[in-house]
Amino acid sequence: MTHSADTPPVSNTNTPTQSHRKIGFEFRGDGIEYFKIWIVNILLTIVTLGIYSAWATVRNNRYFYSNLYLDNDNFRYLADPLTILKGRLIALAAFIAYYVASIFLPIISGILAIALLIAIPYFINQSVAFNNRMSSYKNIQFRFKGSYGQAFMVIYIWPILGILTLGILYPLAILKANEYFVRNSAYGTSNFDFNATYKDYGMIFLTALGIAVVVGVPIALITYFVPVFAIISPVLFGIMYFALIVYALVSFTNLFYASLNLVEHKFEAKLTITGQTKVILINLFLTIITLGLYLPAAKVRMTKYICSCLTMHANGDLDNFIAAEKENISALGEEFGQVFDFA
Amino acid sequence: MDLVLMFIDGIYLDGKTSKRHIARLEVNSDHKITRIHLATQREILSFEQQHYKVETRLGNTPREISFDDAQLFVCDNHDEIDKIISWQKKYSSKQNTWLYRLENNLKLICLSTIATIIFLYGLIIYGIPSTAKVMAHHAPQFTSQQLISSLDILDRTVFDASELSAQRQQEITALVAPYLLSYKSLQPKLVFRAGMKANALALPNGVIVFTDDFVNLTQSDDELLAVLFHELGHLSHKHMTQRMIQDAMLTIMVVFITGDVETFDLLTGLPTLLLDLAYSREFEIEADSYALTQLSNHNIPLQSFIDAMRNLEQYYLKQSAGSRESAINDFFSTHPKTEKRIKLIEQFNKKND
Repeated sequence: MTHSADTPPVSNTNTPTQSHRKIGFEFRGDGIEYFKIWIVNILLTIVTLGIYSAWATVRNNRYFYSNLYLDNDNFRYLADPLTILKGRLIALAAFIAYYVASIFLPIISGILAIALLIAIPYFINQSVAFNNRMSSYKNIQFRFKGSYGQAFMVIYIWPILGILTLGILYPLAILKANEYFVRNSAYGTSNFDFNATYKDYGMIFLTALGIAVVVGVPIALITYFVPVFAIISPVLFGIMYFALIVYALVSFTNLFYASLNLVEHKFEAKLTITGQTKVILINLFLTIITLGLYLPAAKVRMTKYICSCLTMHANGDLDNFIAAEKENISALGEEFGQVFDFA
Repeated sequence: MDLVLMFIDGIYLDGKTSKRHIARLEVNSDHKITRIHLATQREILSFEQQHYKVETRLGNTPREISFDDAQLFVCDNHDEIDKIISWQKKYSSKQNTWLYRLENNLKLICLSTIATIIFLYGLIIYGIPSTAKVMAHHAPQFTSQQLISSLDILDRTVFDASELSAQRQQEITALVAPYLLSYKSLQPKLVFRAGMKANALALPNGVIVFTDDFVNLTQSDDELLAVLFHELGHLSHKHMTQRMIQDAMLTIMVVFITGDVETFDLLTGLPTLLLDLAYSREFEIEADSYALTQLSNHNIPLQSFIDAMRNLEQYYLKQSAGSRESAINDFFSTHPKTEKRIKLIEQFNKKND
């Protein structure tokens, strides 16, 4: 921590002068282009009674990965639709079995629910591993190697402790989860690292709480003493709630990237509350008046905005990453995660 | 004999390190990929013996050719890559260009947009309810029997033992007994419970629950019977079972069509809820007309139904005056407006006159 900041990185064998570079992430997708892909996906999914949905997912993901550029090289999504279809069918069968059981045999469904609860950390590990492995940049895949015990801690124990301590430990729960998922991820053979403190996360919570008190209490008091005010106070509370959500979203994203590093390379996110609010409001408005048809373009706009705020501080060039060995992971974990909506 | 047909400039990545090489792909006159020239290393890699796969075209994303051992060639020359695909005789490659053409056919895009909207509308408004109806009526009887525990669950969560006097309970049981007897196939059984405000409900196994508040609210036996017939209507149409099937089908549909669930989180919750309410109002109207038919069959004045509705409306209005608007919203969201229901009765009257 203390020494390395002053001295140049050890691995620096090349010319040290131009080694530090700021590289921006860039999303080159286009709303109309993606709409076409999206609508054909839906049509084919309907025509094939849902079977095409696996291909649709791959095509959607490929579009977003392939249009994401860093240093003029794009990311890739590698999953095979057949793998996803297989996982999806198994997950669907399990879901139907669970649903039927929960209607007709509540006791068995209770046992199944507990079994599922125990299995969730495993499935989440599998899901993250699959997603990382199916993502590549410069033809090197990402990796994830989690452990069941640690996953169990960050999924259940830390959040429960956070709630039991009335939120005092909740920032720690988020920190632990990020640490777990980032530190067990790798780009090729190079591990990611995550360096944030409890204070970093605590400050975001405290600020949000502060805003809620400073703005919320006067509104509540005015409403109490001036009953006419009750007409607009729900609207004001709604706005405050929305603002707090955006504030948290922006702060957590910025903190996440500020704490992230890959060997000697660092990252930075500069999302702003106004920028993010603008994107959300435009997307929400256009999606509602088009009855959902704007959704693909909304996703593109959001991705574009976030990418435009992301930078990588590269120390040295990005040519020396080495691929990890091959391994096989099924798509089942990921699909379970999606079908039961816990990932 | 080894004539070069074309060169394609791009990037070569060997899949072992992240080093990018400026490269030039060479295709010979036999339409085979022969070599890749690396500009910086002055190296030439031979690909004559290798298998390769050309990734499908997707919007304006870069084109990729992957070789054995995870080697990759990336470029932006769509025309040249499309030529390579057209030279491949494999069926799968033909299929791939077909998909891209589909995605760029403006007429087809418009058509499929409209077709998709119409299809989903039809599926939601007609498809799912009528399928659920058929399924509910063909579900074997034992499935309903299994659901017997739903009263147990309600007893444990919202209901308490009824506080009506034993005499009053017996009176009502005696009042409804001859009517229930004539609906034997539905296996109806009337029970009394406290809790859930003024309410009556029909569970799929034939149990009809009257809450204490509801019984106290009614001013005549005919009103009790009117509501009893309404609940028998739910039973005879198997509404509970239908609703469960519909919910399951909606969920599956959403998961299947959207594929990646997270994209839709914001938008699926709301329509699913609204649909559920819309379906539920349909059920109430069906049960109402069933009740009216039965009332007139048994020569009970239809006015009793109107009175019961009015009483319930008054009751919920009074409730809401005390505790803000939530109560009235709860009542009216799942049930049609009382005025609408009374209109239905008037229409029914006219038809029978």
